[in-house]
Amino acid sequence: MERPDIRLNRISNYIEQMPSLSTTVTKVIEICENPASLPNDLGRVISLDPVLTGKVLKLINSAYYGLGNQVSSVTRAIILLGLNTVKNMALSTAVLDTLRDREKAGDLSPDDFWLHSLGVGITAKNLAAFKGVPVAGRDEYFVGGLLHDLGKIVINRLFREEYALVLARARNEKTLLKQVEMEVLGLDHEIVGEMIVSKWKLNEAIVAAVRHHHRPEAAPDDNRFFVEVVRISDLFANLGRIGSAGNCFVDETCFEALRERLGITPEFLSGLDGIVAADTEKAKIFLQLGGKG
Amino acid sequence: MKVKFWGVRGSIPCPGRKTVKYGGNTSCLEVIIDDARREIIVDAGSGIRELGIDLLNRNPSRSSIQADLLITHTHLDHILGLPFFAPIYLKKTRLRIMGPLTYEDESLESAVTGQFSYRYFPVRLSELASEMEFVALKEERLDLGDGIGLSTKYLNHPVLCLGYRLEYGNKVCCTVYDTEPFQNLFCTDPGDPSFDEAMALEGGEAAREANQRVEEFLAGADLLIYDAQYTRGEYAASRVGWGHTAIEEAYAVAGRNGVKRLALFHHDPLRTDGEIDALAEKLAAGAGPDMPEVFFAREGMEVEL
Repeated sequence: MERPDIRLNRISNYIEQMPSLSTTVTKVIEICENPASLPNDLGRVISLDPVLTGKVLKLINSAYYGLGNQVSSVTRAIILLGLNTVKNMALSTAVLDTLRDREKAGDLSPDDFWLHSLGVGITAKNLAAFKGVPVAGRDEYFVGGLLHDLGKIVINRLFREEYALVLARARNEKTLLKQVEMEVLGLDHEIVGEMIVSKWKLNEAIVAAVRHHHRPEAAPDDNRFFVEVVRISDLFANLGRIGSAGNCFVDETCFEALRERLGITPEFLSGLDGIVAADTEKAKIFLQLGGKG
Repeated sequence: MKVKFWGVRGSIPCPGRKTVKYGGNTSCLEVIIDDARREIIVDAGSGIRELGIDLLNRNPSRSSIQADLLITHTHLDHILGLPFFAPIYLKKTRLRIMGPLTYEDESLESAVTGQFSYRYFPVRLSELASEMEFVALKEERLDLGDGIGLSTKYLNHPVLCLGYRLEYGNKVCCTVYDTEPFQNLFCTDPGDPSFDEAMALEGGEAAREANQRVEEFLAGADLLIYDAQYTRGEYAASRVGWGHTAIEEAYAVAGRNGVKRLALFHHDPLRTDGEIDALAEKLAAGAGPDMPEVFFAREGMEVEL
């Protein structure tokens, strides 16, 4: 087995050239290469891709070092960086090769992964609204949800064969994916995800969600609520089979306990199914994925 | 602190009969701080060629030339003079080149010096005798030593572009070009199919805050060198999003932020001397008692702060 520190080193070198998702790549190129495309469409397609979202936020937070609060809204980043800068950056990240990669994507289906990430983002944003988070702060919850499993993208790309075994074992043994990752690879997607978002200089709440979404109790107090919302959104998406990021084992007891702790009513949750389904459907149509699939 | 304008034109050098008075060279400023014996240059447009010759003439023994070159951004009109800046060919020259980040993790060095390749120019970077150091800047405040402070501010241009605020003693010189007011780029019409309420609100708020921060950055400057490429009519008609400001807007911003002198800068290449004179007259006629002294920057002009 390759040593975990050597793996982490490979991952660290890979982060800078990490391409966007194959699910969004065609639409990204279509929008960014068209001088007449609408800013709303640019904002939307970036918000549908965890890698692009992360890279846009990385750029804004690298440049605007002196801003009091780090920027965690793609909308704000586009206003400050300008359309050209964002389009050029997105084009350099949207690599058509990722489409060829799909054929050898292993067991982590790119479209299912994308749908899961998006589902968690939409759920987190809606739960934040339910809990009274002001409109301006809700984007951050969306980003936290969208990016929470980012580490899996890199692990799947760099250690594809071993990761296929990890996914199969987690599925067959009905075990938590994170646990099998650690046993087989000596690292897990939370550790890798944290490496990426820290390197991208994303804010502490997002770093905490990526690092602790399986154990919110380990998150720093300031960000505990944020991480718990992402955590319950992840469980909600898994229970509702909104896409898949390889986790077949869902802890329903944990979901119930967290639901009660956060004061989320069953009535609200039952309505949320429809909202998430409608929003993900709209996203599929926007990306021309054929919908309903 | 003294500022000399070596190039005042935007976009492309435009020598000719119609630009003799204000000059046709692109952006280059020299900030001279005699007491500190420091040489600071802002931008390496075509104006830097003559500055280079002048620096050598001022220094006939060809002893060491040390300068800080602040690049506002890497669009061609702001860097194209660098290969013709004679001091870079001298062994004793030490140039610290500072400028903004680029979007693609490309270094400032490669963005500025890409032109030193045989494809574009007969001398390669590695063949230059001088010593060059590159510093990528964030939005920050730096101590340049000898009592000189430098603050930076990202502006609104189609590529990442910095404004510079230089402070020495109690004097402040501030550059705010190439830029235009930040605006909400997102659809605000609820009847439009692409309307998104959260985007519309956030976009509006982000633009307001960004404009406020630019005004705070330039407030109280003894000399503000501001983008004034267009008239308000030209800007509104077809230049929104091009990254430049209307003359009237620059004057209003300077006026409400306690600026003492405003140099209108980065003139459109199509703007003739006669047109600039007419615009200057119009501005003077409309000047109020609380407004700053205003002038159109002219090549060769020196301003003592």
